Amino acid sequence: MLPVTLGIENREQNKAAARILTVLSSFASNIRQFGISELSQHLGMTKNMVYRAIKTLEEQDYVIRDPAGQRYQLGFRVLELQNTFSPEPTFRTLCAPAMQQIHELTGETVSLTVRAHDFTVFIDGIETRQPGVWRLQIGALRPLHVNTTGHVMLAFLDDEEIEQYIRRHQHDEPAKDDMPLDPDLLWQDLHKIRRNGYATALRPGALPMLSLALPIWDAEDFLHGAMSVGGPNERFGPRFDVLLPQIQIMMQALCQRTRLYSANAAGSEITL
Amino acid sequence: MKTTKKPKRAAINSSAAHVFDVLRNVCDGAEPAGVSDISRRLSLTGSTVFRALTTLEASGYLSRYRNLPQFELGMMPYLLNRALLNQFELTAASRPFLQKLAWETGETVSLNVRLGWYSLRLSGIYGSRDIYHRDRLGELALLHQSLAGRAILAFLPEGTLPELADFLQKELGEKPAPAEWSALQAGIDLARERGVHAEVLQMSPGFSAVAIPVRDHTKTAIACITINGPVYPSETLQAQLAIRDDLERLIAATPERFVSPFAHIPAHKMRLQIPRTKLERDEFNRK
Repeated sequence: MLPVTLGIENREQNKAAARILTVLSSFASNIRQFGISELSQHLGMTKNMVYRAIKTLEEQDYVIRDPAGQRYQLGFRVLELQNTFSPEPTFRTLCAPAMQQIHELTGETVSLTVRAHDFTVFIDGIETRQPGVWRLQIGALRPLHVNTTGHVMLAFLDDEEIEQYIRRHQHDEPAKDDMPLDPDLLWQDLHKIRRNGYATALRPGALPMLSLALPIWDAEDFLHGAMSVGGPNERFGPRFDVLLPQIQIMMQALCQRTRLYSANAAGSEITL
Repeated sequence: MKTTKKPKRAAINSSAAHVFDVLRNVCDGAEPAGVSDISRRLSLTGSTVFRALTTLEASGYLSRYRNLPQFELGMMPYLLNRALLNQFELTAASRPFLQKLAWETGETVSLNVRLGWYSLRLSGIYGSRDIYHRDRLGELALLHQSLAGRAILAFLPEGTLPELADFLQKELGEKPAPAEWSALQAGIDLARERGVHAEVLQMSPGFSAVAIPVRDHTKTAIACITINGPVYPSETLQAQLAIRDDLERLIAATPERFVSPFAHIPAHKMRLQIPRTKLERDEFNRK
């Protein structure tokens, strides 16, 4: 029997097979076809390596040539790689690797949020072990206008939907520590988020907290939800400019996966 | 389960080919599998299977089951499946139509396309009722073995049925029983008469789930909408057919857009091992 904590070391892997699987994994996106050179560039492998991997995959019908015979597309035999007994990945499992990566990169609290009507709901997260923890309350509902993830969700709605939201909540009594909804300030922030592709906020207080939130896109350019990371400004702030591009790359990789699914509320293809 | 034969001019070594054998074996299992199970089933050495499992886990194709030395399917095969389904333009284009039908009926509505001699569940909107069918996207079935497939068969040109029988016999080594074939022909005739294919639901006596063919500009079935609930007979069938007609008009407007990404592969060359259902697995184990 194998030890429970089976380590994955390179020497234990079949290198040729690992390369073949890496090439096949490149097709797990909404890009339909690839040429050998593109794959070679994208994966940092020599053209010869990619060619040999593609030939193996083609022999087994996991990739096939496109109708013009010049490029390669996913083959029909990929459909055999299913197990009717095990569940499909949920939104949380899809996001888990990226959440872990961002936590390891920043050392700060990372959270995953979805929208429920006029609220954000925290559905998953990893709290930092450092002092000054941003408490994660799984299941907590917050109005969309009071936090960065909510602003991200609002920013990518239609203008009319945003106006309707403002009309519904303009006169709400703010909760403790929350600011009242100021339509002008909110619109300013939403325009900035649309320009930048992310939201930031500095929450004042005894220990000012800086947060960053980024959208998680679906197949039809709607949002599945948002990922946020944040911590004390004195710790997270000075590293922010260096960390941001790396976080954006991680989120791009995540969205390549989440864009395979539709978030349509009437019959979402993916469960939480 | 047979392992992959090494081709004459193999692009890789045989141990790399065994990685796919191991992956398919895990796909076929009803429960997570360990080294010894797979090694026995594939007649491969423990070290070959161990290296294959390690490679597949590191690449995201398998994942460890509850921290045990047993493996189940990882995220990557699901992502690849999803990417393949998204290659069909019909996946996204059909969604608003399926949604309308789901709203009207409250039942799960799916779109299945023809893929060679198989039907493939491409897209679906789940029903709004408390109890609903959560069918798996990417589900495969031979055309004559599913509600959707039979509806597609009914609206293919004459002479298709003998071609299917030929495929089953030559490629899969299955000779259809005459009684089964007569029943299939009778069902097809009835579907042509009604314009839809309906099958009685065991849990709703007297009512049927319905499969509505979706045809291209040549009036050949390329897909089928199924409404998985007790919706037939129904006074609203005409309204449901009208929604299908709207989808057909969209397809007819730009037929080249909706050509299958596998249209250039001859149907008889598409041989697929259909993942076993629980019932089939139980029957297999009993035997």
